[in-house]
Parts: sequence; structure tokens; C-alpha cells
Amino acid sequence: MQIMQTTEDSVASKAFRKHQGHTEGREAEPDVEGARKIRVLVVEDNASDSELMLHALKDVGYESECEVVQTADDFADRIRRNKYDIILADYRLPGWNGMETVAMVRQEDVDIPVVLVSGALGELKAVECIKQGAADYVLKDHLARLPQSVRRAIEERDLRDENRRTQEELARSNRDLEQFAYVASHDLQEPLRMVATYTQLLAERYQGKLDENADKYIHYAVEGALRMQTLVKDLLAFSRVGRKQEAPRETDCNLAVRDAIANLQSLIQETGARIDYEALPVLVADPSELLQLFQNLIGNAIKFRGAEPPEIRITARKEKKEWLVSIKDNGIGIEPHHAEDVFVIFKRLHTREEYPGSGIGLAICKKIVEHNQGHIWVESQPGKGSTFQFTWPLPSK
Amino acid sequence: MDDNPADIDLMYEILGSCKRRYHVSSVSDGEEAISFLHRRGRHSQAPTPDLVILDLNLPRKDGRTVLKELKSDSLFCKIPIVVFTTSQASSDIASSYALGANCYLRKPGNLEEYRAVVQSMADFWLGFAALPQ
Repeated sequence: MQIMQTTEDSVASKAFRKHQGHTEGREAEPDVEGARKIRVLVVEDNASDSELMLHALKDVGYESECEVVQTADDFADRIRRNKYDIILADYRLPGWNGMETVAMVRQEDVDIPVVLVSGALGELKAVECIKQGAADYVLKDHLARLPQSVRRAIEERDLRDENRRTQEELARSNRDLEQFAYVASHDLQEPLRMVATYTQLLAERYQGKLDENADKYIHYAVEGALRMQTLVKDLLAFSRVGRKQEAPRETDCNLAVRDAIANLQSLIQETGARIDYEALPVLVADPSELLQLFQNLIGNAIKFRGAEPPEIRITARKEKKEWLVSIKDNGIGIEPHHAEDVFVIFKRLHTREEYPGSGIGLAICKKIVEHNQGHIWVESQPGKGSTFQFTWPLPSK
Repeated sequence: MDDNPADIDLMYEILGSCKRRYHVSSVSDGEEAISFLHRRGRHSQAPTPDLVILDLNLPRKDGRTVLKELKSDSLFCKIPIVVFTTSQASSDIASSYALGANCYLRKPGNLEEYRAVVQSMADFWLGFAALPQ
């Protein structure tokens, strides 16, 4: 039996443990021979039953260290304080039951598998326990099955731990990469400004005063610097998506589209574009990002127009868990095998002479949508127009 | 007041090619900027400027601090100060005006715009605007 410590477990140490549990996982430490040692918490009020369980555990293949608790308070206290590899819980206890054990573990937000050990439970109850999150359930008169069940529960927990670590590592490296792109594009602007201004000054002052090659070379340098300025500016705009501190709020798509149309007014007049939209939803979004999303999609639809004046139709449909918004045009369309390329940053399917731009618009759209747990894709055939569609989660209640 | 010699040179280039003649002095950090106005040390012969062009990111003493000190000093608070910087942060723009900057201009990325900005700044502040004696 472990000696009880003071009853207050500080919130900080709990948080710390939780943190450790999440980032480092909890591989049971191997002992000298390399065999694994597991820490078991048994919830059982009947001494001879717990003896039987501990006896059955001998066959589990790991060395085990067991503690037995009887009351709910004691149980809650232990799982808060200590890291267990597994909990074996009797289903019927005086004053509480196995389902509550499972619920308490979940409430503490710790990942300790619970194997329920009980007399005949009935199928319905057993299924309900598993639904609530129990790892398994073993009948008291079939304790021979316990070692296998424990082993499997621990292996599954190890997999979850590993999965969690991988996910966290991936999220961290993505964050680092975004930070890098942001810092790099931000800090590159200043030296680039010097290169651009001074090559232009050189061009201005020495144009025609050196030889023909010099004029050409200076021209290349000026063009290169200006193009790089555009790229860096676009990269900065791209890496700014999702960096805002403000929380997203309810934003009316109808207003976002109206503003986007206003911003694109000269292009719309120039091309005779017609844009129809009606009854678009209210989404939880950053208003300026939603505006940018529609503006980029509408702008794109106009830019890649066919021989006819552009006709763009924006509609929305409510699905089970999300809105599906479509932007349909009558433009030149896209080969289906390029349908994913168009969202890749700086990817261009046409030469700069055919269609200007650095290939950032749709990449920004994708980032905005995905930052809000949505998806974006395009369905298209060359010459038959394109339909860009994105999903956006319904506002949570 | 700018720590980037390339910006200072560009300023001389552009102001030097204007029809109107300007007397331009430059300092490259915030401490020196304050010494210049107080005519301390090697700046004992320094003239009192009609216009201060101030970069925000200065070594030793930040441009924001220079702005604050000048605008809260009865000797210098009447000198118009144009903040001329690469920062686009709305917080920098707001705080500069709050500290008493008379104008906030962003350094453009290409020569044509840079020249246009510097020339119109000089035309406005040293041509059209009436300044205190």
C-alpha cells in the first residue's frame, strides 16, 4: 500500500503531469533485464477477488506493481497523483460502479485504460461500458483472459501515445515552418528594398553611358529585384493568414461578397462580368479573411475568363455538419489532373505573359479555409468553366 | 535620423536634385539625434532644423523614444517631425501620431515612389507649410 500524501494536489502539478503524459508518453520503464514493469490500480472491495486478479496478472508478461482502492474518493485521488498503466475495476462496488470509474478517468483527462472485471453483466451493460470508453471487460469466472486483455489495452495505449507524440511533433514543425516563412519574408523586405532602389538608380544614371550589355544586365537586375519583391510580399501575405490574435466571429458571407465585388469593381466593369449570389450563410470567420477568400475566388474566375463575358454564380448549401459554398464560372476551365496544383503556392499553369500574377491567390484561399477546418477543391473541364467549392463548419452552439 | 547609410544617401540624392536648395544633416542613431539638437559634443555648431525626418528603428535610442523626448521638450516640440520608416504596423502608426509626430510615411520599395514621397514631403513641409521661426 502506498502512503497517502497530503490531500491537495496542486493544479499546477496536475497540469504538469498531464503535459508530460501528453508530450513524452508513458512507456513503462524497462527494469534491468529489459522486461517491462507496469503500474496497476485495482478497484475492488472484496479482498479475495482482488487477490484473484493479482494472481491472474502474473501471466501478463510484465512485472507489475499493484495498488488496491475501494472508495471513489481514494480512486480519484490516486489517478490524479500517480501515473498508472492500467486500471482493473470491479463493476459492482458499494456506492458506485464500473461505469463511473470510466467516467472519472475520462473527466481527469488522463489516458489510463480501464478493464472492467465483473460477474455476469449482461450484454447491454457490457456494450455500454465499452461505449463509455472502457478498454475491455472480463468476467470474474474467466480471469484466464485477463492477461491478454491487459496486454492489449496497454499496447493500444502505447500506440495512442505514440500517435499523439507524432501529431504534436508534426504540429510543432508546421508552426516552426510558418514562423520561418513569416520572419524570412518580413526581414527580406528591407535588404530587397535597397537592391531594388539602387539598381533602379544605377539604371537611371548610367543608362546609355556604359556599353549595351551593361544596360541589359542592369535591366535584368532591376526586373529580378522587382519580381522578388512581389514574391516576398505575397509570401508575407500568405504567412499572415491565421496569425491574427482576434477570435473569429459571425460573419455574413453576403456582405463579404458585396465588399469583394466593390473591391473588384474596375475589373468587373472592364470585363462585363456578372456575379449572382443569394442567401449566403453566416459563418464564424475572421471578416477580413472571408473577404479575401471571396475576392480571390471571384477575381480568379474573372481573370481566367473565356471568350464570353464572365458569369459567376455563388451558392451555398447546408450539409450535416458544414456549409458547402460553390463559386461557378464560365471561364477557360482546368485540366482535371491540375485540379490540385492550382492551390499550391507559387504554382502557375500559364506563363506570366498569358496571365500575370505570382500564383498566390488560391494558396491563400486554401490556407484560410483549412485554418477553419474546411476543405477547398475545384471541379472543372477545359472550356467548360470551373466550380470552386469549399466547406466551412457550422457555427457551434 | 536613420541608421541605414543607403537611405541617407538616397535622401541626399533626391533632395540634392530638387530645384529648391536644402541644407541636409544626418545622424545615425537616437543618442546622436538628441546630441545634435542640443548641440552637444561634435554637434556644437549644428543648426536647428526646420524639419526632422525620423526613422523608427534606430540603434542606442529608439526612434519612438527620440520622438517622445523631442515632443515633450519645450525647446523642440515645435519642430515638425516626419516619421519615415519601413514599418507598416498599425500600432506604430497610431503610437507615432499619439506621441506627436506630424506625419507618418512609409519608405516605398522602388525608386520612383521613393522619389515621389521624399519630394512631396520636402515640397509640403519646406515649401507650402508655414513653419515657426
